[in-house]
Amino acid sequence: MLDPAARRELARLITRLANAGTQEVLAEPPPAITKPARRIGFTGPPGAGKSTLVGRYVERRASAGCTVAVLGIDPASPYSGGAILGDRVRMDDAAGNPRVFMRSVSSRDAFDGLCNNVADILLALDARGFDEIVMETVGVGQAEHAVKALVDTVVLLMQPETGDGIQALKAGILEVADVIVISKSDMPGAARMRENVAGTVRFGARRSAGWDVPVIGVSSEAGTGFEELEAALAKHAAWAGAHRDAGETQAMRTRYRLQDLLIRRLETVLDELAAAEVNAASPAALYDRVVSLLGR
Amino acid sequence: MSLTGKRILVAKPGLDGHDVGAKVIALALRDAGAEVIYTGLRKTPDYIARVAIEEDVDAVGLSILSGSHLELVRETQRFLREFKGENIKIFVGGTIPKEDNEALREAGASGIFNASQRIDEVLAEIDTLLSAPA
Repeated sequence: MLDPAARRELARLITRLANAGTQEVLAEPPPAITKPARRIGFTGPPGAGKSTLVGRYVERRASAGCTVAVLGIDPASPYSGGAILGDRVRMDDAAGNPRVFMRSVSSRDAFDGLCNNVADILLALDARGFDEIVMETVGVGQAEHAVKALVDTVVLLMQPETGDGIQALKAGILEVADVIVISKSDMPGAARMRENVAGTVRFGARRSAGWDVPVIGVSSEAGTGFEELEAALAKHAAWAGAHRDAGETQAMRTRYRLQDLLIRRLETVLDELAAAEVNAASPAALYDRVVSLLGR
Repeated sequence: MSLTGKRILVAKPGLDGHDVGAKVIALALRDAGAEVIYTGLRKTPDYIARVAIEEDVDAVGLSILSGSHLELVRETQRFLREFKGENIKIFVGGTIPKEDNEALREAGASGIFNASQRIDEVLAEIDTLLSAPA
């Protein structure tokens, strides 16, 4: 459990990391991690009920004695760069728990539904010895694929009456989910949605990898389905521990971190190119020019 | 004027249940480039100060319509000090009689705003206060 001074110090470190440029973040000393936290990512479309569900889930875990860090990511305004970070409004009880550290961050320049230097922020949280780190994504764009690289278990939320099983199949996001939650399961249409999604998942690629993706109905409003969700997460943790290669997971996270840094470096380089230069050159010549600028 | 990179907590302490003003300010701050964390209604000064620390904000804006502004500002300031967040500035807005301004400043408020002020005036003042060295 963190005392006020440690909370303040961690809070400031996260601010520094979130603001750091690519060179600054590379210059940060790697944090010492003695006991890696279990990382769970919650994703799903805006309005699916992520914040409320995460709030309830975290409150339950904290009441059971776990220490939990929550990273809630909300979108930045493309016009002003500012953001309204409102995840806390729905996480009242959890956020007040002494075993919980909660931080809201803006997605800023990240277009994958996460935030700048998210890999480093997660490592900083990991170094504090939390039992669990829960990350909530913006829920749009390619969040599912990015979050997959960084967490142990991806929970995908879908709400009732948002299309049938084919819609879910088309979206292509079912492949990354380790656990699927049909949220607001007290609403009409939830049972049918659950059947549809379960029917689709049954034929998915994950099954052949040896993990049966559970589809669980959860109602944050009624407080139902949480035991089932916790059981599914525990089962997935055990499965992942037995079947996933730790070296491969580590490599995947490092690759994501590199990709994140390189994309931002690339954006800086592209911003440096004047319009006249861009319009005058062929795509092939521009490509070569950008590659050489990257190598500077 | 730009509040880019500034983090501001907009909070509703006490028992009044009207947060239109808080939301108007939150949106205006966002449009000025700030990252705004909103707490929701009826929070205690203790809770607000804890959130301010965890979110590492530059300022806390308290929206108060209940008449208990003096007490709530004083308490928020006390908890911020207790949690070593003395560098975090406090603004207060709402239904605040002018004669309370001096007492509010003594209690720890750096900026005091009321509903008759234009939003751009409010933003300009917040910008000035946050640009000043701590």
